[in-house]
Amino acid sequence: MDPFFLWLESTSLSVWTRESTSVFAFPAILSAHAIGMGLAAGINAALALHLLGVGPGIPVRELRRFIPFMWIGFWLNAVSGVVLLISYPTKALTNPVFYLKLSLIACAMWIFFVIDRRVLRDPASEISEPFGTRTLAIGSLICWAGAITSGRLLAYTYSRLLVDW
Amino acid sequence: MVNFQIWLVSTLARATPIREFMHTKWGWPAAESLHFIGLSLLVGTISVFDLRLLGLAKRVPIAALHRLVPWGLVGYGITAGTGALFLMAEPDQYVYNPAFHLKVLFMLVAGLNASAFYLTSYRRTTAPGASADAPPAARIIAAASLFLWISVIIAGRLLTFYRPWPCGPAGPGFLAQCLPGYVR
Repeated sequence: MDPFFLWLESTSLSVWTRESTSVFAFPAILSAHAIGMGLAAGINAALALHLLGVGPGIPVRELRRFIPFMWIGFWLNAVSGVVLLISYPTKALTNPVFYLKLSLIACAMWIFFVIDRRVLRDPASEISEPFGTRTLAIGSLICWAGAITSGRLLAYTYSRLLVDW
Repeated sequence: MVNFQIWLVSTLARATPIREFMHTKWGWPAAESLHFIGLSLLVGTISVFDLRLLGLAKRVPIAALHRLVPWGLVGYGITAGTGALFLMAEPDQYVYNPAFHLKVLFMLVAGLNASAFYLTSYRRTTAPGASADAPPAARIIAAASLFLWISVIIAGRLLTFYRPWPCGPAGPGFLAQCLPGYVR
């Protein structure tokens, strides 16, 4: 994989995000990644809290209105995450914790789709197989908390920063 | 101001057990993870409430959605608590950091803005039979809240890039301030 990492690290986008002292380079990308995290993980958490009984007077179907903002956060993070990956590919892709983070996000988004399809669109079918609504909500909270934690740990667990480092 | 900063740093630095805990292998990463989890809880619940005040999902009663706000406060408590741990572990990294000054300023204004909601609009928007449309004052407060919390996040992310370093003859490094008492 090293030749691929080396090529990625030599692309102008990678060099720019790593070496630019502009506040619009790394600082702006990290800020976008944190804002997107707040929206994606946070709105999913709000959804999960409601399914666990917070705000019983909220018509569950109407919560779908907030989902576009969850997607704004998700895509903000997908794009900023890819840029961060391009700036330090060796650092992320040689670290098992990075794959754990991606798996946890995949798990969280799978739960989101199940909640959206079975609970938000069709509240009548709330007791759904194979998982109940409560299980899905708790699973969502655990997956997002795990994704955030493993994301944070990336700064502490990498073994190689760049190919030539 | 510098005298106040020096006093604040030496006062905060007295929390020796906290500094020692934070410098253990897992102390700092664990606190950071909780800081980000609390941030997400805060931003998720508060942004949903703000968006509702701005006119999204009008069929959701504002009073019902307000039940999420205490969970935003839980998020705030987690974030502020872990934030205090960072501050006590490395006070000079924050007290002399312009990004931290901005962050505290935005947090204070966000707090005043939230108080303004409870003083001017809470009763009107959550009373039984309240209109589905929030009054203009509440909408302005909601828009300001979204702007302010995003600004708090940005200032927080910029902390790393505005860290003060003891400056050598070459002057400050990348975007950094010099610590007082060192060559400028």
